Amino acid sequence: MAKVSLQGVSKFYGKVQAVKKIDLEIINKEFLVLVGPSGCGKSSSLRMIAGLEEIDEGIIKIGDKEMNNLEPRERNVSMVFQNYALYPHMTVEENLGFSLKIAGLAKNEIEERVHEAAGILDITEFLQRKPSQLSGGQRQRVAMGRAIVRRPDVFLFDEPLSNLDAKLRNQMRTEIKRLHQKVSTTIVYVTHDQVEAMTLADRIVIMKDGIIEQIGTPLDLFERPATKFVATFIGSPSMNMIKASIVKQNNELSMKTNDGIIVPVPKDKQNSVIEGQNISFGFRAEDIVPLKFGQKPSSAWEMQSSVNLAEPLGTETLIFTNFGEIEIVSRMFTPEQVKSNDVLDFALNLDRTYLFDENSGLAI
Amino acid sequence: MRKFLNGPWVLLMPTLIILTCVVLLPLLLSLWTSFTPFKLTKPDTLYRFVGFRNYERLIGDLDFWIAFGRTVLFLAIALNLELVFGLGIALLINKITYGQRTLRTLMMFPMMFSPILVGFQWKYIFNDNIGLMNNFLREFGVIQPIPWLVDGILANVSIMAAEIWSSTSVFAILLLAGLLGIPKDPIEAAKVDGCNSWQVFKNITLPFLMPFVFIAMTIRSLDVARAYDIVQMMTGGGPAKRTELLWTLISRTGYVDAKMGMANAMSYISIFLSIAFTFFFFYKLVEARQRLSYE
Amino acid sequence: MNKKQINNILIWFSAIILIILIMTPGLWVVLTAFRPQVDVMAKPAVWIPRNLNLIQFETMLFGGSEGSMGRSPIPVLSYLRNSLIISFTSTFIAVLVGTIGGYGFARHNFKHKNKYFLLIMLTRTIPGISLSLPIFIIFSKIGLIDTHIGIILVFVALNIPFTIWLTDGFFRQIPRAMSEVAMTDGCTKLQAFWHIELPLSRSGIASAGIFAFLISWNEYALVSNLARSTDSKTLTVGLMDFTAQFTINWPGMCALAVFIIIPALILTFMVQKHLVTGLTFGGVKG
Repeated sequence: MAKVSLQGVSKFYGKVQAVKKIDLEIINKEFLVLVGPSGCGKSSSLRMIAGLEEIDEGIIKIGDKEMNNLEPRERNVSMVFQNYALYPHMTVEENLGFSLKIAGLAKNEIEERVHEAAGILDITEFLQRKPSQLSGGQRQRVAMGRAIVRRPDVFLFDEPLSNLDAKLRNQMRTEIKRLHQKVSTTIVYVTHDQVEAMTLADRIVIMKDGIIEQIGTPLDLFERPATKFVATFIGSPSMNMIKASIVKQNNELSMKTNDGIIVPVPKDKQNSVIEGQNISFGFRAEDIVPLKFGQKPSSAWEMQSSVNLAEPLGTETLIFTNFGEIEIVSRMFTPEQVKSNDVLDFALNLDRTYLFDENSGLAI
Repeated sequence: MRKFLNGPWVLLMPTLIILTCVVLLPLLLSLWTSFTPFKLTKPDTLYRFVGFRNYERLIGDLDFWIAFGRTVLFLAIALNLELVFGLGIALLINKITYGQRTLRTLMMFPMMFSPILVGFQWKYIFNDNIGLMNNFLREFGVIQPIPWLVDGILANVSIMAAEIWSSTSVFAILLLAGLLGIPKDPIEAAKVDGCNSWQVFKNITLPFLMPFVFIAMTIRSLDVARAYDIVQMMTGGGPAKRTELLWTLISRTGYVDAKMGMANAMSYISIFLSIAFTFFFFYKLVEARQRLSYE
Repeated sequence: MNKKQINNILIWFSAIILIILIMTPGLWVVLTAFRPQVDVMAKPAVWIPRNLNLIQFETMLFGGSEGSMGRSPIPVLSYLRNSLIISFTSTFIAVLVGTIGGYGFARHNFKHKNKYFLLIMLTRTIPGISLSLPIFIIFSKIGLIDTHIGIILVFVALNIPFTIWLTDGFFRQIPRAMSEVAMTDGCTKLQAFWHIELPLSRSGIASAGIFAFLISWNEYALVSNLARSTDSKTLTVGLMDFTAQFTINWPGMCALAVFIIIPALILTFMVQKHLVTGLTFGGVKG
């Protein structure tokens, strides 16, 4: 049970700086997810916490103790790896008990704790099997069991679900969440899958190119993305994003796209932009809806466009249409038939339109 | 210190020390010696520098060039035949379903045999008086014993036979591993695309086998000089230098004639020959591997 | 008969010829070791072996019998003892040093790693006879000629490169995460190696050991020049010495050859499972 703090931590691979002076406070018992595209430095950060990578700059503390010069074994952390990394020459029971054996615990105590962990993860019946005789999901559970028997201060997960098929992934996701409730230990979890991040995390850290783009609760990130990158990364389908410049029209500031379409700047942002500024504006699929099938928002801007493609998904339908030259996606929750080439009237909810400065990428 | 202990050099240190002492330093001494007229019988000559005199003499030495040429020719013929036979055997074993493993194990025996033993076996087989070969031919009416190990051409052929017997299995086994490892998809795709079996072999099987051919060649290039043992056993380079290879010549010059300086000059040439050979096939291996990978 | 049956017969026919070609030389030597001299020398040849006996082995191991004079002319027991001592010791050291080196290559990245690897492999390409010249000079100076230690040292150097090649391949097959998880599980680097990576690469190390043993056991070019007497001459050198005589006692020599064949046979069976994987490692996967 401990908090983890990273202060100005950097990692270099040769001349490439994979992690750039990041600061991060992980609260005790928190489930924190590091998410970002591959190469963003999330795995390096996790491996520095584990002690598997040298910390090139800055300080990492677990609890109040500095970890920089400690070996992995001295940090009291447990790690679950992408490919499980179960010891193939040991039975499940030996796998679970290995760390305790190394620590020199008595036989009966090892047995007790192994059975306790096996009970939590529901793998008691497999204890005598070898990893090769287990299914993917069972191996995943053993890997987690191996992590919990040590009763570590911090759990580290390195993309533990990325090798499972979609159905099993959903199931294991729920189990990891449940595990966290049962053992209530600090968890640092790395993934590239934003859905995993959203569903699991207490707080999410979004990284890109070695820096932290934003830290916040899943809802925070979804509702108030701090940067253009966060806005497009979180949420599925991805937020529609259109480049524009600010022009003055009828004494009101508007956004003019490269195709010449003019959309008024939302009321609350009128004072935050200046004429001539280059921006991008974004809106989620559910915030641009066909008027025929949805409710017209209080502050709306309308356009007419033909449907390129419609994907009925049951509870919702995705409609791909054009916004000038750019293809956007709209989501409606009514089970109506929409066909390609139908011409529809769409309403964009201006209150839920996000603006980002084009140069800095920051939200306006 | 901690960084050093965690680094690779601690692990590589014993290897590097041993190889430096037992290979690198002797090679430097060998290089120096090749510039002296060193004779085992006159220890002082080790310190007399004569520049390239040994090498100059070698260039004009017909015996040396004959042995050199014979060595290159011998290797070229032997390796090519080994490759062809090895490929044939691999394809044959690949076709056999029942007893394939047993046959593969049998194939490995010659690889494990000491070259001295191989030489002995074939010396016995080719013995003109009581050898298996002449006894066998006698049954078919060849009464006059054939002097397998005396006649210039026959002796070279006999040694070649022993060499091929001992080393073909390297090719056979590695090529068989290659054949067994070829993915089925490209072959099936080629068949659907209308290739006949020869076209499948040429366009799919062979490119996939090439890395294995080069692995075999690289492994072989590490121990081509084992042929020395075989020749030494069967003919000793004789009679009358008819089967002299570079290595038997080095041995004779250095140990029998005690002309260490000269022998070291020759052995430098043989070392460069071996290294060039290894480099060539290693380079080919890397190239073939790159051609196969998707990235 | 249809085409397929003819094909099958052809395949089997070729396979049988192949087996005969592989087996005959060795079998013929082994058989000769048990045959009386008169039969071996007989003309026309006696094809069906008869009167098989152990006289050659008895003479060799326990000295002559039936009127021959005392000890055997071939000090086969010394050869055997030297071969065993030299091969086992050099194999043990080479595998120890080579495995550690292979682990270093498999688990660490450092500048010019591939060049070092190639350089170490290249030491193996140097012809034994070429290497023997300077080593002979050095050993004469420092008194290592005709000693077990000297020959063992040379064989260790001979076997390290190939051991590194094999073990590097095996270690690289083990996911790095395996030792990393062990280290977060509380192991030191050494414990992780000992409990996890070593057991997982056991078969690779075993085959490296068998190869090293065979190379030492079979070596001739170096040992023939570094050994001067029965204090250190091995079986291969012994076989050569006595075969080079003017009158060869073929059954006797064949009996000596049997001593060299036996380990080769046994070890082939032991190593065959790993041989191909071992050799193709690094070759195809890079």
